[in-house]
Amino acid sequence: MLSAKNLGKRLGPRWLFRNLEFELGVGDALLITGPNGSGKSTLLRCLCGLEPVSEGSVTAGPIGIAAIDQAVYPDLTCQEHIDLMVDLRGTGDRKALELVNLSYAANLPAQKLSSGMRARLKLAMAVLHAPTVLLLDEPSATLDAPGIALVENLISEQLKRGCLVIATNDPNERRLANQEISLEV
Amino acid sequence: MTPTALFAILRKEFRVEFRSRSGFFAASLFAVMAVFAISAASFNSKLPGNLASGLVWVSLLFGSVIAVPRRFIQEEELRTADLLRLAAHPNAVYWGKTLFAIIETVAYGTVVSVLFFLLTSAKLVDPGLYCLGVVGTSICMGSVISLCGAIASQSANRTALASAISLPLIVPIVFMGIACLRVSMGEGLIPGGWRSGYGLVGYGIASLAIGPYLFAAVWKR
Repeated sequence: MLSAKNLGKRLGPRWLFRNLEFELGVGDALLITGPNGSGKSTLLRCLCGLEPVSEGSVTAGPIGIAAIDQAVYPDLTCQEHIDLMVDLRGTGDRKALELVNLSYAANLPAQKLSSGMRARLKLAMAVLHAPTVLLLDEPSATLDAPGIALVENLISEQLKRGCLVIATNDPNERRLANQEISLEV
Repeated sequence: MTPTALFAILRKEFRVEFRSRSGFFAASLFAVMAVFAISAASFNSKLPGNLASGLVWVSLLFGSVIAVPRRFIQEEELRTADLLRLAAHPNAVYWGKTLFAIIETVAYGTVVSVLFFLLTSAKLVDPGLYCLGVVGTSICMGSVISLCGAIASQSANRTALASAISLPLIVPIVFMGIACLRVSMGEGLIPGGWRSGYGLVGYGIASLAIGPYLFAAVWKR
């Protein structure tokens, strides 16, 4: 489902990470930890193809990603984001806002959303096409208690159909994973 | 690429444009100001066709340069380009955005033209040729400038680079566009004007044909 071979990423003269190897199947969850600037988010971007790798290769099935620094269109409503993603992918659930309890804000433009609501919207966009690989970057950073419970529910659903990679330093999220990579500065 | 994906991008562009009122409205404000300035400067005097064609063309050029490259540059600045990279085929992004740029440029050309002939003493001799000139120019400018915007959006100094790399591609459009509009306003020989008009359409089609290949190379990282 997701395999990385000899993965490395260099920024100028410095290697952010090197010689990373892992293989994830159904039900596997990989935790990526490390201090700020160690390359956790960059590793996720490399896994989904948004960032080129300096060496090695990644093989993956359909991917969904929700990241804390991911942007949304400020002038589009939540439902318009979902419809756009479904139309672009050619598949997906147009009622994905229900999965993250955001249906009540379907017609609100993204610029009017709180940071927690925006995080839920990004989660909905990441899972609407039922990806086999879900990448989450600091998923509970801006969420309240019900939001965190919702993320945990989405993760357990994800692990039934595929695998998960989660970049975080939150000790509560460590228990979700069965593999771990620790990056260093 | 599916038609659904292409029209999803086109629909998104219209929504973002009408809600943010950035590109087209800024360019239209420029058009109104430019035509008012020309009208005030040529008040009570006849505007010759060769000069009028140049003035219309300059207004079209600056309006396009203000509005069109923003489509890609803004996606990178807002970091929303990643959403499209994750979900869309590069061809859908290219065609959706380029179609929007062409529609925007044609609409802008129409606004400039209507204002120009209402507020100045310029005379139109061959309306068909004039329309061919404006539509041909719009297709060329829409495709060339949006492609340059896409290429420049990957660099740090985006806006300056977009203008710099589009300059050599715009020069042939300038010559053919002005030749076409000048003849339509009664200066020069009619067959030469139509040849320039067809040349514009051919240039536009060629740039649209090459565009997807260049775009795919710069879009995926």
